[in-house]
Amino acid sequence: MLARKLHLLRHNFLSFVSSRTGSDLARRQYDVIVVGGGHAGTEAAAAAARLGAETLLITQKITTIGALSCNPSLGGVGKGQLVREVDALDGLCGRAGDWAGVHFSILNRSKGPAVWGPRAQLDRERYRQFIQSELLSTPRLTVLEGSVEELLVSQPNPEEPGHHRVTGICLVDGSHPILSSSVVLTTGTFLSGSLFMGQTTSPGGRMGDAPSCARLSYTLKETLGLRVGRLRTGTPPRIVKESVDLSLAQIQAPDKQPTPFSFLNTHTRCKPEEQLPCYLTHTTPGVETVVRESVHLNCHIQQDTKGPRYCPSIESRVLRFPGRRHQVWLEPEGLTSDLLYPQGLSMTMPPDLQLRLLREIPALHRAEIRTPGYGVQYDFVCPTQLTPSLQVKSTQGLFLAGQINGTTGYEEAAAQGLWAGVNAGRTALSLPPMALSRTQSYIGVLIDDLVGRGVTEPYRMFTSRAEFRTSLRPDNADLRLTPRGFEEVGCVTLRRYEKAVRVRDGLQEALMALQSVALSSTRWREKLGNISLSENKSATLNGLDLLQYKDVSFDMLASAFPECLSPYFEYSQRLKIEAVYRPHCEKQSREMERIRREESLTLPSDMDYLSLPVSLSQEVREILDRVRPNTLGAATRLPGMTPAGIIHLLNYVLRTGQRNRHTEHRNRSSQKEGGKGQLCASNIQISQ
Amino acid sequence: MLPCTSWGLWRSAILTLKTLRAAPSVRGLCVPTRAVCDAETIFALSSGHGRCGVAVVRVSGPASSMVLRNMAGLTLPPPRTAQLRRITDPQSKELLDRGLVLWFQGPHSFTGEDSAEFHIHGGPAVITAVLQALGSLEGVRPAEAGEFTRRAFHAGKLGLTEVEGLGDLIHAETEAQRRQALRLMDGELGRVYQDWSYRLKRCLAHVEAFIDFSEDELIEDGLLNQVDSSVRQLETEIETHLKDERRGERLRSGVQVVIAGATNAGKSSLLNTLCQRPAAIVSPIAGTTRDIVETSLDIGGFPVLLSDTAGLRDSSDSVEREGVRRARQRVEQADLTLVVVDSTQLPPDPQLAPAFLQEHLSTVLPSPEAGTEAASNRVLLVLNKSDLVPEEQRERTEGELRESPGLPPACFLSCYTSTGLEDFLTVLQSRVKTLCGDPLSGAPSLTQARHRAHLQQGVQALNQYHHYRDQDLALAAEGVRLALTHLGRITGRVGAEEILDIIFRDFCIGK
Repeated sequence: MLARKLHLLRHNFLSFVSSRTGSDLARRQYDVIVVGGGHAGTEAAAAAARLGAETLLITQKITTIGALSCNPSLGGVGKGQLVREVDALDGLCGRAGDWAGVHFSILNRSKGPAVWGPRAQLDRERYRQFIQSELLSTPRLTVLEGSVEELLVSQPNPEEPGHHRVTGICLVDGSHPILSSSVVLTTGTFLSGSLFMGQTTSPGGRMGDAPSCARLSYTLKETLGLRVGRLRTGTPPRIVKESVDLSLAQIQAPDKQPTPFSFLNTHTRCKPEEQLPCYLTHTTPGVETVVRESVHLNCHIQQDTKGPRYCPSIESRVLRFPGRRHQVWLEPEGLTSDLLYPQGLSMTMPPDLQLRLLREIPALHRAEIRTPGYGVQYDFVCPTQLTPSLQVKSTQGLFLAGQINGTTGYEEAAAQGLWAGVNAGRTALSLPPMALSRTQSYIGVLIDDLVGRGVTEPYRMFTSRAEFRTSLRPDNADLRLTPRGFEEVGCVTLRRYEKAVRVRDGLQEALMALQSVALSSTRWREKLGNISLSENKSATLNGLDLLQYKDVSFDMLASAFPECLSPYFEYSQRLKIEAVYRPHCEKQSREMERIRREESLTLPSDMDYLSLPVSLSQEVREILDRVRPNTLGAATRLPGMTPAGIIHLLNYVLRTGQRNRHTEHRNRSSQKEGGKGQLCASNIQISQ
Repeated sequence: MLPCTSWGLWRSAILTLKTLRAAPSVRGLCVPTRAVCDAETIFALSSGHGRCGVAVVRVSGPASSMVLRNMAGLTLPPPRTAQLRRITDPQSKELLDRGLVLWFQGPHSFTGEDSAEFHIHGGPAVITAVLQALGSLEGVRPAEAGEFTRRAFHAGKLGLTEVEGLGDLIHAETEAQRRQALRLMDGELGRVYQDWSYRLKRCLAHVEAFIDFSEDELIEDGLLNQVDSSVRQLETEIETHLKDERRGERLRSGVQVVIAGATNAGKSSLLNTLCQRPAAIVSPIAGTTRDIVETSLDIGGFPVLLSDTAGLRDSSDSVEREGVRRARQRVEQADLTLVVVDSTQLPPDPQLAPAFLQEHLSTVLPSPEAGTEAASNRVLLVLNKSDLVPEEQRERTEGELRESPGLPPACFLSCYTSTGLEDFLTVLQSRVKTLCGDPLSGAPSLTQARHRAHLQQGVQALNQYHHYRDQDLALAAEGVRLALTHLGRITGRVGAEEILDIIFRDFCIGK
């Protein structure tokens, strides 16, 4: 009980941190234990606690909670959408970005609001402070410094699918085990991680931090029998700002008016005029020469572990696309930092050659390196072994999020962390797991891609992965997720929910008001002056129709009908976007409905496809056995799957589902409602 | 051998399912019972191609009542009651057929959705026209293999026993469709589709690269201009292809060849000669053939549906008058008309023969068409009873006819002695071959109404690209995505990963 009270010390978190040790908590039992304090871990812990679960976050070093291990930035095209969605579900990273941002810009401003990419350069220190103070002030959340030695695994609950059940963790210091109903692993690059620089290799997941998770890796592979793969990534050297000749680089100014990530914020902490610029420069033929000369001294580049194609090291960029000029961004590391981050120059060659390479770039001709770049190779668990709630199929109560699932990027990690935390919390509180549909969110797309198809290279979000991109926009993430997050999921606080409902109702009213003003196109032309309307003169258009036109803004309409429209000025931009996209979204809604229906038909995770007594071709059986799709929707998207196979499968599942339900009904009619993981055919629900 | 196995199977399957449903079966299958509205409305021919007298076209989905109102009169028939209606093209209001229509209001239908059935005459031309008309309606598209049954299944309309056979049925059907598609895609048509698909994928990949990466990467602004012109080029090519007179579709249902002409010219003899059996009654009495006599033939490996018609003349006999009416209607629908002329009626002066035949044609062919170039491509003149014409007159007439550019090719022939039959068959075969479009050596042509519908929708989607190009690139890209989805229905689905592969191959994405 001691630990439970400790969160009250939140305002003085530094002393709180130092006062905590593993032995204080020895006998504690938690609902949820989160291992890892990166982007996935912090979101997971916060989400589980918001849900009402007693949560313990275990991290090697409390001071690195919320550390930005690589680039000092958040958001971007596709990633910005994820940040907005995490925020809409009351996650941390959006607000942290608004607190720590020093350079805000909306990418893709000219390409249509569906693909706008909110992005910010961050002050590393401020980001870490925000996340730490946020976590340490979260009720029901305890933070513990320690290294996890081992997962506690026991016999599964026979009423639910799975071969094992996780019951807690053991710390390295050999103290008593800590028990919990669910465990979320967010170990990032620390799972059998090794660091590469030049020809030297050392164990570890991040430079400067001790290696960890050795036993954990063994447990996952050997005890739980999970398939793992290996991926690699890298980070560039950090450069001393003073040593850079910025006059030789092109200055990139931020947006004049910063746009906050969070739906709760109207402005960012950083004032518009306080923002810092970025700088753009380019590689030269000299850079290519250094890369070619150093290949034999570069272990990382010689190995064939899969690295990302879209975030390659400078070595692989130069080797794959020789003879080109590549972009290098020089980004600030913070308001007070004396360092610059050279985006695009991730490298793993020996440090002396790194310096030589940098100095081939004019703006960096006198550059000094503070810390050299390096590469990391790490194990990831093939994510097809997870359910859409991010639980390991074979192990009840074990959830994975972040790089351990083969993704890259802070935003991808945060999104999974949040959702794994939600489901870990729900499991602990005996609530059924939940999935997010790919028709409703980028988070849904991310998780569905991971668990449905797996990864062959670090997975990063792009807008092109979302088939319903025009509906899943950054502007409407709150409408898509916040109400559901409060009403069904339970991870959204009342304050945010009320705000989202107010916005939803306001927008609804405004749309109705727009539709209520109808004039002939001739009259509209008179009212609004010189606008080109393609409709013929007699056609009657309402305000919403008119707002679809490129040259028409809500403000123009509001000045034409002030009494009716002026109450809605605050929604001016959202209304314009809504008007343009609405017809397309309506067209898509049918396809979305079909996909949601198929997603709602769950396939049991323990199905024996190879001996299923239905007529399926061997080829289809093997595909199903290998991927083990979670839902009928995922099965339909598998390459090689036939319509006939789908029908057979569905038929079989429905039949056994029916049978099981009957026996279940007989056997446990007295048991509590809402037990998890029943055969899913009985779970058929059509969302919305 | 008509390549329409899947339809046949489909029909038998529906019969099977109906029979099964009659028997008491396990009910209460646990499926979503809420009316599952696939908002798209689908249609398909649910009877075999060609030979059948009546063809059944099914429509299912929320637009079914709209379909009936647009194509079969403004009022809906009472539910589950057959009514004879004029079936018209929704756009041109042109009469396509007269047939029975049925209306099933959901959930009391096979699929559980609003449905309609058209029972129309079995000729490929009528079927094609009706299918095309359906495809031209907004929100209505050809069904994919097994889609009707799948919808029935989702609506909880099938009992357990019925579902048992369903998977196998759909399997057979998709296999048949796949084999057909393979056969077609093997040839030049496949090459053309694959080429479009490849180019469209590239267009999409480049637009997507511009959206997802251009802010950070060296992706030149000129990239989108290239996409603009590629998209325009593709649009033009697909549109040209669509105007291709639908030659390929005839391969599937058989070329409809109609024998027409005055009474006693020897039309029925020609039919019997061609099918090498006495399919039609032949007599010296004018007006022997009163109804249409239809037979399927294989000419040079191509399926042909050959129809013998009543001789054209004014008659007081009401039965014969109906026969003549049907004959004229059939000629209107024909892909190829064999106009049979009694050679003994030709003017003795060979120089007058062209004018005589021109005159004769105008009495047989529908008036706006006679004498046009299109008509002469779709007509062969058969100068029958050549054994009764002096050889010298025949030869000189042949010479004259060769010099007359306005006339369709003419062949002297004697059904009685079979003289000239071989030459005629060569001409006929080459004409049939052209009509079908040779998948191996001929010009690529369309082969399926389904393909056609997807191509049409693809072109529409590409228009969306141009419409939004400068206003909203996300919506413009949506147009290209949609077009690729439609083409993907023909050549195979395109996943997001494939687009990303092209992006990473073509650009150095380095952030």
